[in-house]
This record gives sequence, structure tokens and C-alpha cells, in this order.
Amino acid sequence: MAMPPAPSGAAFFPSPTRDLAEGLANLRTQGLTIFPGLLEGRSLQRARDALYRAAEDDAARGRHQAFSLDYAQDRSNRRVWNVLSRDPIFEDLAFHPDALAYVKGVLGWPALLGNLSANITGPGGGEMVLHADQIFVPEPWAPEPQGLNIAWCLDDFRESNGATRFVPGSHRLNRPPQGQEGVEEARPLEAPAGSAVIFESRVWHQTGNNRTADEHRAGVFAWYTKPIYRPQENWFLSLRPEVRDFASEEALVLLGYRTEGLGLVHGRSPA
Amino acid sequence: MVPPSSALAAAREALLHQGWAVLNGVLDEATCTATLERLWAAAAAYEAQGHSTFMPVLDPNAANVRVFDLLALDGCFRDLILQPEAIALVEALLGPNFRVSNFTANIARPGSGSMALHSDQALVVPEPWHAPWALNIIWCLTDVTFQNGATLFVPGSHRAQSRDDLGPNPEARLVPFEAKAGSIIAMDGRLWHTSRKNITEGEDRALLFAYYVRDFLRGQVNFNALLDPALQATLGPELRQRLGLQAAENLTAGAALLGKAPRA
Repeated sequence: MAMPPAPSGAAFFPSPTRDLAEGLANLRTQGLTIFPGLLEGRSLQRARDALYRAAEDDAARGRHQAFSLDYAQDRSNRRVWNVLSRDPIFEDLAFHPDALAYVKGVLGWPALLGNLSANITGPGGGEMVLHADQIFVPEPWAPEPQGLNIAWCLDDFRESNGATRFVPGSHRLNRPPQGQEGVEEARPLEAPAGSAVIFESRVWHQTGNNRTADEHRAGVFAWYTKPIYRPQENWFLSLRPEVRDFASEEALVLLGYRTEGLGLVHGRSPA
Repeated sequence: MVPPSSALAAAREALLHQGWAVLNGVLDEATCTATLERLWAAAAAYEAQGHSTFMPVLDPNAANVRVFDLLALDGCFRDLILQPEAIALVEALLGPNFRVSNFTANIARPGSGSMALHSDQALVVPEPWHAPWALNIIWCLTDVTFQNGATLFVPGSHRAQSRDDLGPNPEARLVPFEAKAGSIIAMDGRLWHTSRKNITEGEDRALLFAYYVRDFLRGQVNFNALLDPALQATLGPELRQRLGLQAAENLTAGAALLGKAPRA
């Protein structure tokens, strides 16, 4: 099947927008949308500081958290899992009202938070296999996305420091890439710190290569799914208890504590 | 009595091709009787904990006795959920990467009613249903007959990829699973079925439903929250994995992609 035509120049990616209807239209046509300035000022600074501190704490203790989609030779990419438990600021990201408007618009409700993890690319590292996030769903895929990823850019995402590379429109093929398919077409999505890149689970993407000498680039990835899928993070085992204790109704749904039919305890919702 | 390996091989083939299979004699008579006694004890314990065994959302009256949480109630059920012949049939259909979704009992007492026609997979998973993502291993603790409320199924319906594929009036094509006490019935999650009314005078029909799903699907039961931490600490690594008690889950496909291994 032919790839969707790749527009050239500035039109390759949709223009950043804070308008929900426009953003949802971008998701339908391009598979992604860019929300500028979703995190600003002190919040951005605090999230960035908390993430780098968590990564440094892990490194200092030898808690290396590799990921199966990184290349084995990559020693520079740093992963932080279970970011939600590391600092309350990350609750503000995972449960941000504007983010959840997109979750509801793309996946419907209820939905689940499958994971909240971070990826910090470092010099010489980062590059990842081109993939679609819903590869765990056997093909052929149902005609709607089964998940949504919201990438919170905590640093400027630039081509040189490993900005995530995308193939806009690839979600319309409704399947993962085969072999080297799409690798040539993928382009880096550059966005200033504080932007959120919102992409549905079928669009092809990969972490870019960080070609800088001394620069790191941090992104927090909030991964949401329809409620039939098993979360990657087992929140019932790993979540910091006060997150649950003070969680909003929406957060309880996303963490699997408000549920119907699946995830039951004694045949009922656990909270 | 242990079924010969040829019987297991035949059941595996039947499951793959016709969407269901019966394997006789998996439990001997004494074990079957003892398990049924422990099921009634578990039902009593479950009610004593304050839970009802009548589920109005599933059944029209209280003559269907439902016991959830079997794995929390008695170690004999934790043995059955990983019983080797049952697991051989699970792996034949779902492959090596599966999780336990639920393990419940349904005792149909005389006068119990019928459920709505459904496939387990269609209740949860969007169309198209092109492959088995779920499977029931039904443990027969009593003889199962048409009269005492055998599960009824639509032959060949596991091939329906959509509701439209089922064709008109599927209820007219229902036939019963009949099996002896001590048998297991393996049922593809795509097979359309219902329970039947128990029209006997005084005969119970006791079945255990061990429900397994592919590892990317969320389970019906949250075993992390259900099982007491002290009990969890006693479970072996195999059962811990199959119950989804690990911190990281649903990463099989990602690992396969990087390793270029065949997709599970």
C-alpha cells in the first residue's frame, strides 16, 4: 500500500493549536497534534527539575531502567518508569484537564492510564525502532485508535537533540510499519519546552538520534488506552499511596480504581 | 485416572478447529467430590464475608449460585488454575503469553434461569474478532446434561468475525455441551454461548469457569487488590506471573519487535 503523500516544508506537521476541535481534527487527519505552552513558568521548571532529579537518583543507585524498544547498544538514553510516583507535579501532567479532553475525544470514557514514563536522550543516544504504540494489539486492527500518547516536552525538542520523529498520516494505514517502511519519511517534530505532542496509537514514530555533544532532552510520555487493555504499569503494586488517597474521580478511573466488568475485586469496583 | 496423551492431543485439535473440546477424566471421582464440597464451603465463606452469590446482572433468579474469588478462597482452586492438561489447552489456543482473567463458579440449582447469548470476547473486544484472545476452561464438578443446565453453544460461531457473521436467529442453532463429572470443557472466547435453565427436580449442575486471556488484555479481576498480601507472598513465580502481579506488564510485543522474534 502506498504511503499517504508527504507534504513538504512547514506543512509536514499541523500548526500548533490550543483549540480542542482543531486538535482533534489534526489527530484524525495527521494522527497527531501539537498543544503549545500546556506547561509554563514554574510548573514547567518544577516538572523538569523533578524529572532530572529522579533520573540522577536512579543513576546514582545503579537503578538502570532499560526498555525493550531501545537499541541494546544505547548507553545514553535514560528511562524513568512510574514517574507518577516520583513527584506530585507529575499528577498535574497525567490528569491535566486539557490532556484528558483529548483522551476523552479520541478514546472515549472510561479510559486507563497505561503508563507514565520518561525518556531523556543524551549525546549519541536516543534512536529507537520506528513503531506504532498499539503493536501489542494483534492485526488486523479495529478501525479506531486503541490508545493515545501525550508527550510532554520538558526541554526544547530539536532535530539535533533527539526530537521524536513522526510519519504524519501513517495511522490511516491502520497497521505497523514493515521492515524499513516509513524510516525515510519520518521527520523530527520540533517543539519548544512546555509543548505537548498528542498522538494516537497507530501513528508511526521513533525517538530521534541525539547528535549534540553535551545536551539532554527530556520528555514525559503519558500513555492512555481503552479500558480493555492491561496497563504496562501495575499501579496497584507500584503507585505511591497518597496519589490514590487524594485522587480525583477522573484519576481513580484512569488508575483502574473505578471500573465495571474488568479489574474487579469481589465482583465489584475496588473503590 | 489421567487421560492419555492421545486424548489431550485430540482435544487440542478439536479446540483449534471446532472452537471447543471436552477432555474426560481430568479429575477422578474422589477429587471431584472433594472439590465440590470445597466449592460449597467456599460459597459459604464468600457469603460470610458479606458478598452475595446472586448476581442480578447475570442471572434472573437466585437459583444460580455464583462464587467469585475462588483463588482467594481455597488452595485447591489455585492448583486447578495451573493444572497441566488445562494449561496445555490454554497454550494451544492462546500461545505462551496468557494471564488468568478470572476464576468463578456457577452452580445452577433446579429452577435456575438462562443468560443472554454472548461470546466472551465479543463482550469486551471490538470487531473484527479474527483470532482467539480468550478461553474458558470449564471444570465439570457434576455431570452436565441438557436437563440440568448445560452450557449451550452455536457450533462454528467462533469463526464469526462480527455480529453480522453470526447470521439470523443464532438461538435456533444452540446445542449443549454435555460432559461427565471430572471433565474439562475448553471453549474458545469467540464461541457464542449461553447457560440453559436447570429443569431437573433436584439436581445441581456445578461448573468452575477458569477464564484466561492474552497478556495484553486487562483481566476481569484485579488480583493485586483482591488477594491478601500475606497470601500473595506464598504464591510461586508461575502463578504470580499468570495473575498479573508483576510491576511491569504488557511489554511482550515491544520486546518481540526489537528482537525481531515472531510476534506472540
